[in-house]
Amino acid sequence: MGNKQTIFTAQQLDAYQDCTYFTRKEILRLFYRYRDLAPQLVPLDYTNHPDVKLPYELIGSMPELKDNPFRQRIAEVFSEDGQGNMTLNDFLDMFSVLSEMAPRDLKAYYAFKIYDFNDDDFICKSDLEKTLNKLTRNELTEDEVRMVCEKVIDEADLDNDGRLSLEDFQHMIVRAPDFLRYRNSDT
Amino acid sequence: DSNQVCLCRETTKTCWIAALEDQDCPPLNYINVCLIVLQVQQMQVPASSNAASWKHNKTKSLRKLKNNFWEFLYYFTLWGRSLQKIGGNFGGGVQSYFLFLRFLVVLNFVSFLLIAGFVIIPSFVLGSAESGFVNRPCMTYDPNPNTLVAFYEYFLHLLSGTGFMEDSFMFYGYYNNNTGTEDGSRAYNIPLAYIFTAIFYFAFCLCCIIARSVAVATGGSTVGNYSMIVFTGWDFGCLGNQATKLKQKNIYYRLQVDLEEERIKKQAASLTPWRKVALYSLRILMFVVALGLIGAAFFGIFKATDFSQVRDGQPGFLGLLIEFLPSIVITTGNFLVPLLCDQIALIEKYSPSITVVMALLRAVVLRLVSLGILLFTLCSQITCSGNAEASACQQCRYDHEKYPCWETRVGQEMYKLMLFDLLVNIALLVCLCFLVCVRIVVDNWSCKLSQLVGRQEFVVPSNVLGLVYGQTVVWAGALFCPLLPLMNTIKFVILFYCKKITLFHNCRPALKTFRSTTSTFFFLVVLLFGWTLALVVMIYSLAVINPSMACGPFRFFPSMWKIVPNSFYCLSKVTQDFLFFIGSQAFSIPLFALSCVIMCYFVALASIYGKSVEMLKAQLKLEGQDKQFLVKQIERLKLQHLMPALRAEVQD
Repeated sequence: MGNKQTIFTAQQLDAYQDCTYFTRKEILRLFYRYRDLAPQLVPLDYTNHPDVKLPYELIGSMPELKDNPFRQRIAEVFSEDGQGNMTLNDFLDMFSVLSEMAPRDLKAYYAFKIYDFNDDDFICKSDLEKTLNKLTRNELTEDEVRMVCEKVIDEADLDNDGRLSLEDFQHMIVRAPDFLRYRNSDT
Repeated sequence: DSNQVCLCRETTKTCWIAALEDQDCPPLNYINVCLIVLQVQQMQVPASSNAASWKHNKTKSLRKLKNNFWEFLYYFTLWGRSLQKIGGNFGGGVQSYFLFLRFLVVLNFVSFLLIAGFVIIPSFVLGSAESGFVNRPCMTYDPNPNTLVAFYEYFLHLLSGTGFMEDSFMFYGYYNNNTGTEDGSRAYNIPLAYIFTAIFYFAFCLCCIIARSVAVATGGSTVGNYSMIVFTGWDFGCLGNQATKLKQKNIYYRLQVDLEEERIKKQAASLTPWRKVALYSLRILMFVVALGLIGAAFFGIFKATDFSQVRDGQPGFLGLLIEFLPSIVITTGNFLVPLLCDQIALIEKYSPSITVVMALLRAVVLRLVSLGILLFTLCSQITCSGNAEASACQQCRYDHEKYPCWETRVGQEMYKLMLFDLLVNIALLVCLCFLVCVRIVVDNWSCKLSQLVGRQEFVVPSNVLGLVYGQTVVWAGALFCPLLPLMNTIKFVILFYCKKITLFHNCRPALKTFRSTTSTFFFLVVLLFGWTLALVVMIYSLAVINPSMACGPFRFFPSMWKIVPNSFYCLSKVTQDFLFFIGSQAFSIPLFALSCVIMCYFVALASIYGKSVEMLKAQLKLEGQDKQFLVKQIERLKLQHLMPALRAEVQD
C-alpha cells in the first residue's frame, strides 16, 4: 500500500479511484492483468499516457470472458473504436461497470448497448433473435425464436414502433428487482 | 474527500447523459467523461455544500451495507447452490419439489424449537414423573420393565419406540402433571402448557402455510414474462464454463414453460367448434371415469377393512393375510390408481401445469385415506369401538389391558410410520447405487434392468404426495410424541440428499416442464388437506377420548380439554369477565362485520389500481403515436419551407 509503484502518478491513481468503483489495490491488480495479456506491448510506465491498444483476440481469451456468449459485444461496446481493441481506460471501465458496485442505471445503459447488435440505438427484431440464440445456446427452433421475439416486443414496446428504444428498456429494467444480481429469480 | 467523489460522480452522470443525448457527440466511455469532469473540477475551487453531500454519502453507504447484508444472507441460505444446480439441470418444476421440501424442513425445525421451549425444557427443569408402581386398577403402567437387556434388544427398542425410548421425553407418558404450585416460586403449569403448545403449533403451521401460499401466488408476475426472462435472465458476472452452460439451460427451460403453454393455447384456439365440443365432453367423461376409479378404490378398502375385522383371529398364514388385507389393498390402490390416472391424463391433453395439479388432487385423498383408516382402527381398538359397556373398557373407559398408556401407543405407531418411510427411501437409494455400480462394472450388459437406470423421469406429484403424507403423520402424532418434529427435520434433511443423489444419477430432464408457481400453490393446498386430517385427530383426542389414568399430564381429567375451563376459574375476576366478553356475541358479530368491510375496501383498492395501470398504459401508447405524428408533420413543414428556396436556387 505504499507509494512505491511507478506505473501511475499519485494523481492518476486518485483519478482512477474516483472514476471507477475500485480501490487502489484493485486498479493495480487490473493493470497487471492487462499487462499479462501482452507484456511486450504494454509499458510499465503510464505516467505520460501512452497510446496502447490491445487487439480483441487477446481480450476475448481472458478467463472471465472466454465462456461468456456475449464477449464480442462486450468488447465492442467498451472499446473506443467499436472494434474490440481496448486501451487501459476501456479495460478499467469494462470491469468497473460489470462489477457489483456499479449503479443500476449505468449497467442498464451498457446492457442495452450490448444487446443492440447493429448499433442503431434500437433493439429491433434481428437484435433480439441474436440475443436469444446466444442466451439459449441455439437450442430453440426458429419458430420458437420468432414467437418469443414477438412476445418480447409486444410486452416491452411502449411507444409502439416495433422496436425497443433505450427508454422502453430502462422502463422494463426498473420493474425487475433482480437485474444483474446474483440471485435466481425463478424461486 | 469522499464528498468530492460523490459530487464528481453526480456531475459525471449528468454530463455523460447529456453527451449521450447529443447526436453530434461521439460515444464516450463513462470513465473518460469522469476523468474530464475531474480535471475540470480540480481547476475550480471546490465549493461543496457539506450538509447535502454528507447526507448523500450516508444514504449511499447505508444502501451498500444493505446490499452486502442481503448478499451475505443469500450465501448462507440453506442449500441455495444445490437448488440452483437442480433448477439449471432439470428445470423449475423439479426445483419446486425441492423448494417445498426445504420449506417443510424449516417449518419442522421452528416448531420443534417452539415445543422444546414451552414443554420439553420446563419438564426437564421441573423434574420427571414419580416412577412409583401403583397397584390400582387402571393405574398399572411400567414402560421399561427390564432395564438389563441384550444388545440386539436395544436396536429393536430403537426401531419400535418401546423400552428405553418409551421411558424418555419422546413420548407423552413421560410427562407428569405437576403444576408447580407446591412452592410459590415456580408456577409453571405443565399440562396447560402442553395443551396450549399443541394448539398453538397447529395454528402456527396453518399461518405459515397460508403466508407461503400468498407469497407464492403473488410472487410470480405473468406480466412481461418473456422480456423479463430475456433481458434479466443473464447476469454479467464472471462465471466459468459449467456455470455458463447451466445458466443457459436454465433460461432455456424457463422459456420452454411459456412456449409450451402458448403452443397449447394456439392449438386450442385453432380447433373448430365441433372439435372443441368433442374435447370438452371427452374431458368431462374422463373426469367421471377418474372419480369412479377413486370411488371403487375407497369401496374396496372399506370392504377389505370390514372383512378383516369380522374374520379376526384366524391362526396361521391365512390369519396373517387377513390381518394385512387392508394394507395390501391400500398399497395396490396407491400404485394402480395414479398409473391409470396418468393414462387418462394423456387423453385429456391439458397443459403440463394443469396435468400436474390434476394428478396431485386425484391421488392425495387416496394417499391420506390409508392413514385415516389406520388411525380409525387404532381408535376403535382403544375405545372398544365406542362401546363403553364392553368388558374391557368398563373400568377405565378405555382398554387398559391392551393399552395402559394409549397416547404413548399412538405416538409409537406414528413414529414407526415415519421411520419406515425413511428406511424405504434409503433402501431405494442403496438399490440404485448397486444398480449404477453394476452398470459401470458390466458395461456392455444389455439387461433390461440396467437399461432402466438413467432413463427415469423424476415424477413430481407422487414425490410431493410422499412429503405430504410424512408431514401429516408428524402432525397427527405431535400431540403424543413431542420430539417427532425434530426427528422429522432430520428425516427430511436425509431425504433431501437421497433424492438429490437419485435425481442426478438416475434421472434425465423432463421433455416438458411445468410452471412452478401454479404447482407450488397446489402443493400447499394439498398440504392443507393433510393438516385438516391431523386437526380432526387432535380435536377428537382432546375432546372425546378419556386420557390414560396411568401416565401423562392429564391423568385425572375426564378429557384433555377439561383442564382449560378448570384453570380458567383460577384467573382473577376481571380477566374472566374480559374473556367472557370477547367470546360473547356482542363482540364477535361487530368484529366480523368490521373485517368484512376492511376486506371489501382492499379488494376495491386493488381493482382500482389495476384499472389505473391499464389506463396509463393506453395513454402512453397514445402519446407515442402523437409524437410520431408530430415528427412527420415537422418533416413535411421543413420540406415545404425548403422547396421554394430550392426552386429559387435552381432558377438562379
